[in-house]
Amino acid sequence: MDPCSHHWFICNVRHGYLVEEACFECGGRLSFFSAEPVPPIEKYREGRHFWAYLGSFQTVKFDLKCSACGRLVNLNDVNGLMLSECTDSDCQVGVLVLQQAPDSLVYVAVCPNTTHSTGTCVSSEGIEALNQYFKAKLAPVGRKVTVVPCKLCNSFDKCRGTSIADVGLTDIQ
Amino acid sequence: MKVSELVQKTGLKAINEYKDREIESVYISDMVSDLIASAKTNAVVVTLQTHKSLIAAANLAAAAMIVIVNGRKPSEDVVALANRTGIGLFSFDLDAWAFAKKLVNLGVE
Repeated sequence: MDPCSHHWFICNVRHGYLVEEACFECGGRLSFFSAEPVPPIEKYREGRHFWAYLGSFQTVKFDLKCSACGRLVNLNDVNGLMLSECTDSDCQVGVLVLQQAPDSLVYVAVCPNTTHSTGTCVSSEGIEALNQYFKAKLAPVGRKVTVVPCKLCNSFDKCRGTSIADVGLTDIQ
Repeated sequence: MKVSELVQKTGLKAINEYKDREIESVYISDMVSDLIASAKTNAVVVTLQTHKSLIAAANLAAAAMIVIVNGRKPSEDVVALANRTGIGLFSFDLDAWAFAKKLVNLGVE
């Protein structure tokens, strides 16, 4: 058990673009963060995949650091947060949403490869730190949120929700 | 200053029912994703955005209220989500700069 009760604060704020791509061959989707002034839009082949640009939007990434013990949790594997509106009783996230009190909301932490073809998703350490951070921030104002990794969605690409993103402001036409 | 007092002194139009929180800071931005990392707890968020993602982000930032400038109005689903979070939504007819001047004149910074 961790001896520190952790007082997380946001650090290493990075501004950039979240670029979404889709594979013509398998229908898979991935996203990556780009700090370039103009996000890359070129098509490219990678093994059996042929990735093509779908879109991009401005976003902010950050890490969490504990002011008590100095522990840094790198959130590079979190490409964004989505407020879940799933009501699918066959989906773990949907079940969680249906169980919430009216003032409590579920957010999905979105990893770079939402098809999870590589078997990876947002780290459990990152999910735990995000939950602790938001719990501490929101408790004084009487709000609750739960953050879950996108691997819990039946199919993230078909999942209902509101992504926290700046869509449309600086899209490349 | 409480939300209700600011509403009264600036002529804001309430869009939903809200919790009357104590305002502790101000954050002006049209970048929704920026809110989580930059806005402080119990902030007045001033923006011209009306998208649902605004509420999703303001909730995580523990914002007290959102002032939508230029007379813009959010859709019903945005108001419904704001109601769930208790965040007050308000409309202001002029631009963000005009509202910022009112805040400064009231000593809210």
